[in-house]
Amino acid sequence: MNYRKRKKMYNFIANMVLIIFVCLAIAPIIWMVITSLMTQGEIVTGKFGVPMHFVNYLEMWEDVNFFQYFKNSIIICTSTTAVALSIATLAGYAVARFKFPGSNIFGATVLATQMVPGIMFLLPLYLMFIQIQDILGIRLINTYQGVVIVYSAFFIPFSIWILRGFFASIPLELEEAAIIDGCSRFGAFVRVILPVARVGLIATGVYIFLMAWDELLFAWVLTTSADVATIPVGIRLYVGNYQNRYDLLMAAGCVTTLPVLIMFFGLQKYFVTGMTAGAVKG
Amino acid sequence: MRYREIKNRRKAVKGNKTGLLTRIRNNKLAYLLITPAIIGMILIHFIPIVSGIIMSFLKLNQFTLKQFLKAPFIGLDNYKAILFDPKSTIRSGFFDALRNTAIFGLICSVLVIGIAFLLAILLNRQFKFRGLARTLLMTPWVVPSFVVGMLWGFMWQNDGIINKVLVDVFHILPEKPFWLTGPMVMVAIIIPTIWRQVPFVMLMLLAGLQQIPDEYYEASKIDGANAWNRFYHVTLPLLRSVLSIQILNGIINYVYSFNIVAMMFGHGAGFPGRYGDLLMTNINRNSFQIWQFGTGAAATVIVMLCVMLLVAIWYKVFQNDLVVSD
Repeated sequence: MNYRKRKKMYNFIANMVLIIFVCLAIAPIIWMVITSLMTQGEIVTGKFGVPMHFVNYLEMWEDVNFFQYFKNSIIICTSTTAVALSIATLAGYAVARFKFPGSNIFGATVLATQMVPGIMFLLPLYLMFIQIQDILGIRLINTYQGVVIVYSAFFIPFSIWILRGFFASIPLELEEAAIIDGCSRFGAFVRVILPVARVGLIATGVYIFLMAWDELLFAWVLTTSADVATIPVGIRLYVGNYQNRYDLLMAAGCVTTLPVLIMFFGLQKYFVTGMTAGAVKG
Repeated sequence: MRYREIKNRRKAVKGNKTGLLTRIRNNKLAYLLITPAIIGMILIHFIPIVSGIIMSFLKLNQFTLKQFLKAPFIGLDNYKAILFDPKSTIRSGFFDALRNTAIFGLICSVLVIGIAFLLAILLNRQFKFRGLARTLLMTPWVVPSFVVGMLWGFMWQNDGIINKVLVDVFHILPEKPFWLTGPMVMVAIIIPTIWRQVPFVMLMLLAGLQQIPDEYYEASKIDGANAWNRFYHVTLPLLRSVLSIQILNGIINYVYSFNIVAMMFGHGAGFPGRYGDLLMTNINRNSFQIWQFGTGAAATVIVMLCVMLLVAIWYKVFQNDLVVSD
């Protein structure tokens, strides 16, 4: 009896603590949505009624050419995900399944790249891109391909690491059966292993997309013209030198968060199983 | 033919001791598969890193920028300016940033792991709204970090919502503090970082918790272990490998933290004042606002060496907990 009472007490306290933390987690996001529906005057004076100023969501596209930045972000992040995921899948499979001379060195190098800060690459890359443009005439600064190349290369090492864990958990017998049935090695990988590894691929893809959507430092240096600049560059224009349009800024914040939020929660099931299979272990 | 291929594969996986050349020949496909990744890493990782290290020995500013690696060589002068020159403002700025980053990293690491662990344990029970609770707790991690910086920067303002809640609604503080200037800046950058980082760590720990079989807890209960004993002698040892990876992630993340601070303090790299400046914002400002690329590169190399030292210590501590998963 006493035990059951204590158990009940524990559950009650646990639920209360969880409720408090859930509130802390979502309160700032709710506040962002509320301010995005207030007028500029209401934000300044701090007196507001029911926030119903939906016009912000129309005005934000006119005040700053936000659609262009949004489009750029979508194009860059999607291409980055496609490129990085395909390259990392091949390499991750190789590291998981083959013990080739150099495989340990390769694996260690992949991990070591994670210890180098982005700023270490930033200036050398920028200067290299200028030199390439001067000597070979290939434009990489302020172009989609330049950013996509850099981002892809950045997210490849970590993706290899997640996918390696995922491929290693797939039984070897699957490929053997496929080879006996007449597949080549590569055929077995494409036809048998890739479909089985779908969950891990989706999880890694979501991860790459989120990281690319979030990237700031390189976007500020490599994309300066509005034609190719991503959202983090564009969103700063709302807080300008003459006026602080916090209402529009918050609306833009909501619009920026929404696509990744939908994608993440739509694919949450895959993400959770995929990430935990590959990334929980070392 | 097929049979031999399988036999080779078995051998390849086990990695047996035949001649090096044969082993390389047997693994042609593997080399083919990693080639694109290697090309990418050489072009975007190794060449820039090496040029970055070379840059730290050059006098590279706005005048010599175009010369890139042909800029005048000045040996260790950049390092001296950062570490030893008592008159240089770069030195005092760097050491402020170093101190702040150390405090920031330590507090964030402890609090993130602590809170995430608590939440993971609370979520690892059977209750009605478990899926919903987990989903809601995950949301902060999905908000892009530059939106996080911008949003919290707005909320921390003197007449912002946080002061309103703390002072006007709950009367916790007697008057409205300035969060974005002076010593309180540290609080203003730590809390959003924790807010965004906890969910991911929580998810990983929760996954680790779910892999622990119930029998372990039942057995220890029968042996008379109380809740604390069960946590300390069953949960913690079994989660050490997951925890160690998250600690490593944390070290790297917090030392190289940039986005939230840069966005919270407005234009350029953002200057939160000497109480809140972090290494990455400091280096970024030195490089792109006062055009001291050489010293910027030298500072980066110093920070990188510090991180490598931390990772080495981490490795010594957790060496035995790392799971080799094949």
